[in-house]
Amino acid sequence: MKLLFLSIFIFSFSLRSEDKKNTVYKYKDYEVIDLGSMEVKGQIIAPGDLTVNERERRVFKRSLLEKENFDFENKREIENLR
Amino acid sequence: MKLLKTLIILTTLSFSQSGQTSAKAAFEIYQKDKSSIKNKKIAHELIDGQYYFSAIAFINNYLREHNEIDSDLENDIETLVIKTGTMAVLNLEENRLENFSIPSISLVLGTRLFNKGLNEKAYAILSKIPEGHKFSIEANLIKGTIKNLERKHIEALNLYEACAKKADQQENLSEGDKLKRYYSYLKETCIIRQARIKIEDKKYEEALEFYEQIDKRSYKWPYILMDKAWANYYLKDYNRALGLTVTYKSPLLESYFFPEAEVLMALSYYNLCLWDDSLKVVDHFYDYYQPKADALKEILGQNKKSDTYFLDLYYADPKARENLNPFIRNLITQTKKQVKFNLDLASLKAAKDELALIKKLKTKNEFTIHLEANLESTISFISAKINFYIKKEIFAFINEIHKHSYSMFNLKLELLSKKREEIYNTKSEQNRVRERGSEQNVNRKNNQYFFDFNGSFWADELGDYSFGLKSQCSQKTEE
Repeated sequence: MKLLFLSIFIFSFSLRSEDKKNTVYKYKDYEVIDLGSMEVKGQIIAPGDLTVNERERRVFKRSLLEKENFDFENKREIENLR
Repeated sequence: MKLLKTLIILTTLSFSQSGQTSAKAAFEIYQKDKSSIKNKKIAHELIDGQYYFSAIAFINNYLREHNEIDSDLENDIETLVIKTGTMAVLNLEENRLENFSIPSISLVLGTRLFNKGLNEKAYAILSKIPEGHKFSIEANLIKGTIKNLERKHIEALNLYEACAKKADQQENLSEGDKLKRYYSYLKETCIIRQARIKIEDKKYEEALEFYEQIDKRSYKWPYILMDKAWANYYLKDYNRALGLTVTYKSPLLESYFFPEAEVLMALSYYNLCLWDDSLKVVDHFYDYYQPKADALKEILGQNKKSDTYFLDLYYADPKARENLNPFIRNLITQTKKQVKFNLDLASLKAAKDELALIKKLKTKNEFTIHLEANLESTISFISAKINFYIKKEIFAFINEIHKHSYSMFNLKLELLSKKREEIYNTKSEQNRVRERGSEQNVNRKNNQYFFDFNGSFWADELGDYSFGLKSQCSQKTEE
């Protein structure tokens, strides 16, 4: 058990001593962009005659007056009799 | 001439003398008779002396207490129904009247029940009237209406036919002009009903044949123009339908206004694919009827609770009525042509005359005071009844405008959609050659003549107009 504690202690000490070293970052000096190899992707799209599908316009039929019976007139006639 | 004058004076004298004798006899019964049939006896004497409205209260009192009606009383009640109409048994409830099965009471009760919407019961009561009886004409008309409402068209047709036949017989038998006119009115009503059933059954040609039986001078004639226009509309003869509806624009028929005629006119143009013409009619409908409906609504709102305002309007001279609202004049003219209104007005006059006669009686007693009080309340009741009737007619008219404005609203939307469709399809109106009015577009039968319309209506031509417009729908398919 003592041996285990000792080895953990030695290992953590060695890690700390590594952190203290100086880190050096190096950047690229230049980069070449090859414009000739670029391409424009996609296009501006607009509907044309071929792209628009001809379809029947939906007609909303509204109920127009129909004379199915003369109930209203017939009842009124009796009311107007006596 | 002198002889004639003397005769008239003598007749009037004997008439008023017999009236006085009857009033005296009635007073004696009122004073001395202690029997249970006292009211019946008084009523009989009063009816004998032609004090019909005074007799009503006594007849009603008797019927409230007794279940039996002998032949004398039956005759008296029948006379009362003829002279005073539904007033004869006004104070008796329906469940009380159900106990009696004489034709006059059955007719009054049946009519009352029908107007309350109790059709089944009304039919059973009216069926108690024997076929040969003179009241069977009206009974068959109402019974036919009930079957018509139930869509039992064969039964309804049979009843209307029986009604027209019997009315024709009675018209030939009766002597008085008024009575003749009444039976003629019933006959024509029953003929029109048969035509209407044919329209409901989609047998339009047969319907038009029935309408041909109505004389142009008849009271009913202006009303059948609408029916005929519908029959022609369904026969797809839109030009004829337009011609019939435009007849209401003639000066002779200016007091008749049917908002439905405007709708039918717009629909006919619509079916001829004449969108602009149809739109014009729709816009005219709103411009013409909207302010009138608002004005009438205001008048109704202000005088809704009055028992006399609308009756006073009837008595007011036409100029005074026009100052108030020119529309009222025409509306009252139309109301004046209704049978019920005329009967009630005649009853009011008769009751007033009767009151004047009783006030003139030399002997004043408890009995005459009682009669006067009764008559005064009868007069105020009839006045209120007529006032209510005119008010109801105005309400019905406003409601009709509102109902048809809904139809016009839908039609306008449909028209706008059609016009938009045309624009999308680049079928410009300007590119069209619009032929308007050609004889070739008029459908005519062998018995129909053709004359040009030169901007004026002629009375003998009314009802026979037809437009000659070419349908734009056919052009559309050609394109």
